[in-house]
Amino acid sequence: MYDRQVMDTVTLTIDGRQVTVEKGRTVLQAAIESGIKIPYYCYHPGLGIDGSCRVCIVKIEKMPKLQTSCSTTVTEGMVVHTRTPEVVEARASVFEFLLINHPLDCPVCDKGGECPLQDFSYSFGPNESRMEFPRRVFDGEGVRADVDFGPTLMLNRNRCILCTRCVRFMREIDTDAQINITDRGYGSEIATFQEQGVHSLLSGNLMDVCPVGAITTKDYRFKARPWDNPEAVDTICTLCEKGCNTTAWIKAKPEWAKGPQLIRMTPRLNPDVNGYWMCDIGRFDYHWIEGDHRLQRPLVRSEAGTLEPTDWTNALSKVADKVTAAGGTGALRFFVSAQASLEELFLIGRLGGAFGLPESGVAVGWRQREKPQPKHAKFKIPPTDAPNVNGARVLGFPVKTGSDGTADISAFRAAVEQGRISALYVFDPGPDGYIGDVSWLVEAKRAGRLPLLIVHGVVMTELASVADIVLPGAAWVEKDAAYVNAQGRLQGASRAMAPPGDAQEDWQVFVNVGLALGAGLTYTSSAAVRADLAATLSANEAFAGLTSLAFSRPVTARHWLQASNPSERWKWDFMFQDLPPVKFAGTPRATSPPQTIALREVD
Amino acid sequence: MDPVLTRYVREPNGHTLDFFLQHQGYEGLKKALAMKPGDVIEMVKASGLRGRGGAGFPTGLKWQFVLKDTPLPKYIACNADESEPGTFKDHVLMERNPHLVFEGCLIGCWAIGAKVAYIYIRGEFYHVQKVLEAELAKAYDKGYVGKNILGTGFDCDIVIHRGAGAYEAGEETALIESFEGKRAQPRIKPPFPAVSGIYNCPTAVNNVETLCNVPGIVLNGVEWYTSLGPDKNFGPKLYCVSGHVKKPGVYEATMKTTLRELIFDYAGGVRDGHRLKAVIPGGSSVPMLLPDQLDIPASFDDVAKAGSMLGSAAIIVMDETTCMVWVAKNLMYFYRHESCGKCTPCREGGDWLYKILTRLENGEGSMRDIDLIASVAGNIAGKTLCPFGDAAAAPALTTVKNFRSEFEDHVREGRCTVPSDWRGWRVAAGAH
Repeated sequence: MYDRQVMDTVTLTIDGRQVTVEKGRTVLQAAIESGIKIPYYCYHPGLGIDGSCRVCIVKIEKMPKLQTSCSTTVTEGMVVHTRTPEVVEARASVFEFLLINHPLDCPVCDKGGECPLQDFSYSFGPNESRMEFPRRVFDGEGVRADVDFGPTLMLNRNRCILCTRCVRFMREIDTDAQINITDRGYGSEIATFQEQGVHSLLSGNLMDVCPVGAITTKDYRFKARPWDNPEAVDTICTLCEKGCNTTAWIKAKPEWAKGPQLIRMTPRLNPDVNGYWMCDIGRFDYHWIEGDHRLQRPLVRSEAGTLEPTDWTNALSKVADKVTAAGGTGALRFFVSAQASLEELFLIGRLGGAFGLPESGVAVGWRQREKPQPKHAKFKIPPTDAPNVNGARVLGFPVKTGSDGTADISAFRAAVEQGRISALYVFDPGPDGYIGDVSWLVEAKRAGRLPLLIVHGVVMTELASVADIVLPGAAWVEKDAAYVNAQGRLQGASRAMAPPGDAQEDWQVFVNVGLALGAGLTYTSSAAVRADLAATLSANEAFAGLTSLAFSRPVTARHWLQASNPSERWKWDFMFQDLPPVKFAGTPRATSPPQTIALREVD
Repeated sequence: MDPVLTRYVREPNGHTLDFFLQHQGYEGLKKALAMKPGDVIEMVKASGLRGRGGAGFPTGLKWQFVLKDTPLPKYIACNADESEPGTFKDHVLMERNPHLVFEGCLIGCWAIGAKVAYIYIRGEFYHVQKVLEAELAKAYDKGYVGKNILGTGFDCDIVIHRGAGAYEAGEETALIESFEGKRAQPRIKPPFPAVSGIYNCPTAVNNVETLCNVPGIVLNGVEWYTSLGPDKNFGPKLYCVSGHVKKPGVYEATMKTTLRELIFDYAGGVRDGHRLKAVIPGGSSVPMLLPDQLDIPASFDDVAKAGSMLGSAAIIVMDETTCMVWVAKNLMYFYRHESCGKCTPCREGGDWLYKILTRLENGEGSMRDIDLIASVAGNIAGKTLCPFGDAAAAPALTTVKNFRSEFEDHVREGRCTVPSDWRGWRVAAGAH
């Protein structure tokens, strides 16, 4: 990042305040950085400047007309006014224009409650509309106006204010310009070629950039209102090696109510990793966490050959019995998914040390798959579906990579297929398939070449279904865990919710298995594991931050917008610290309490 | 004054290369190619030639702004997207004097160091494009355009590009966007086209009539040119007089000529038995003038002093049979239809204004609507990226300002009170 000491700066005056910003910034950016409120729609910090919505107009001295602050670069000694009557009136008039055709279906709009058009209109718009004509309608009124906009999105053109953020996102970030405006003037509408919709692995970001409810995701549609999800957790995505910073949204609902708690994933700004964006895989592939195939109780294969649910005491004693029967802990081998966090890998290492595991006795697997994207896309999704390949490598696990980046586990596979392994412990805390192809392992087990198979995972995969013992663990949003992404960057995923049923956090499972098998692991929390790990790795600078890694807790947002999508969040963090927005900021308000209707007495 | 630009427009073969060569054709180009490019720019600057497209910006200055030291190619973009209601001067020049346009383009290219001039012609000028292309082929054959022009080693191509027909494409940055194959929407300025224009290369965007003035300046000299017209408004000017006059048409005059002379002498005055009501002096985008404001020279500066703009010099004359509410509605229909839709005020406000004006004209409006029109139009003006917003607001603003009583009559009577004989065919419900 830049050093404030050496960068070129420009000093200007905004509303009488001296403001010093980096050279080349625009007036709008300078105002935002200084906490001065200027509304905007077409401007997005991650996209190019358009200058079309006109709500960010300000008065700049020595310029005859009002200027759009988003497109005006700051100069030394510039004097800007954002609150003179001229500016306030002009801005209010633009809001009036924006709203004359915008449907007032906020109560049923997915964006309602976290909508910049709502918020800014309350703060800066006129009190009432003078529009007396029917509103412009494109595809139909009300819900019928929602039309299909590709596999992930819905489009409501009536709500669109033509800021063209989506057009510019597809053109500049996705680099496959699938969206444009058709027709002209008051008939302008957002469209894709022949109504094909948006087909992109970055399509979910269009919902984020849309400042109104015109583009919504099919996934989140009608599932919750912003005030239904008061809790948001800053975490990271672990579905590939990029490690995008995300926010997990937890819906407030009674325990007995149907439906999931985890309601959506949104990207969180990290300029070094993911910028403002995330991919659709990370955004939409979370349903398995609370899906029907989640493992909720330990399973043990019965005499009849079926997997029967049991409790942890029974399951762990079965683990001890079966491992002893299969040749003792010295014969136990491990197959680990690179979905495993640093803590879990460290504990496997500790177990291996206690059992005298040879280096060839553990293999690390992951899935590699190409994600079709335009060649020059600015946001690339890496092919490796694992968050911690680098972490496993650093911890000394035998990470072998084939020429195409796939996990090379051929030696391990040969050992299994030749029946040389009598007891195998598979650890796979990721969704089905993310450990890579294990059909050969299933085959080997079915063929009887693998006497004991213990699967410690989170979903009922085909592999788990052939296992002798299944131990339920936690998905990445259910535990505090550290990962090392493709850049070698250490990041923490935070616990947003509890594991379902009897499932336990994975460090706990390992500690319990260790106790059952006579390895003296005495950790009482994942933080304790991390502290021990940090001590072990103290020589490695990359892990210096391990003990101070911040894990966020579900926070009750003071205002739901404060923890909304990244552009929103960024805005509310920097611009609107004096929440809630007060509409008549300049005029005195009545101090008497609102009128109350007295209850009628019942005779 | 003898016509300069339109001298031979009535000759049957006036548009052909042979005729053009017989009448000093391409002499200006020969003279310019013998001069240094910088001297040509100086000469045009000294002549005080002002852009004829509407803004009246000094052409020499514009050429000077086109960066000199740049590895990028430079371009001349000839703005032939003549779409301003009431304007039909470039149409005449291109159809009847195409080689003068080419000559102006070539001299411009020589002056700024461009190798290509693009003529962006309006989508509806299909027949004009045919003429231009046929004559351009002849000029290529004779070596006036193309490689090694007139043996001087100067290479310059002229390309004719027809747009898809959008008023907004006449705005210089929108023209460039449209030329590049994008939507005709204006760009943010700065950077100006002189720095970053066609394909982000330095570009001078000049009106057809402006470029047609250049050969004469080079050939006859600065003194001849400055002798035509009042100070700072030199040279011949084409006026498009239309509306309720006896002889509507394109008239060439100096800018000393008053508006009254143009209407009553050149165009023969308003129809017999009628009297003048209002005049739009520079195309539909500019404020109206009243009959008592016409004794001013029709020059950029004098019309501006009177509170309007010379614009494209399209003088639209209206007599007393014209309903001003209808005028405002008619023009608003145009601006609503032609708004590119980029900026919120113009896109949304234009439609709104049109709806209010339609209601008023149908006699269904209220007194409140009249103030609403003034307010909404005022909110559009000056709030948009390009001058379209001001243009769209102008008709509504000036009609309400000057003819408020007519709006009030429409409200009070519930019908049009203007004796609109010429609209007799229109017997639809409502006022007209």
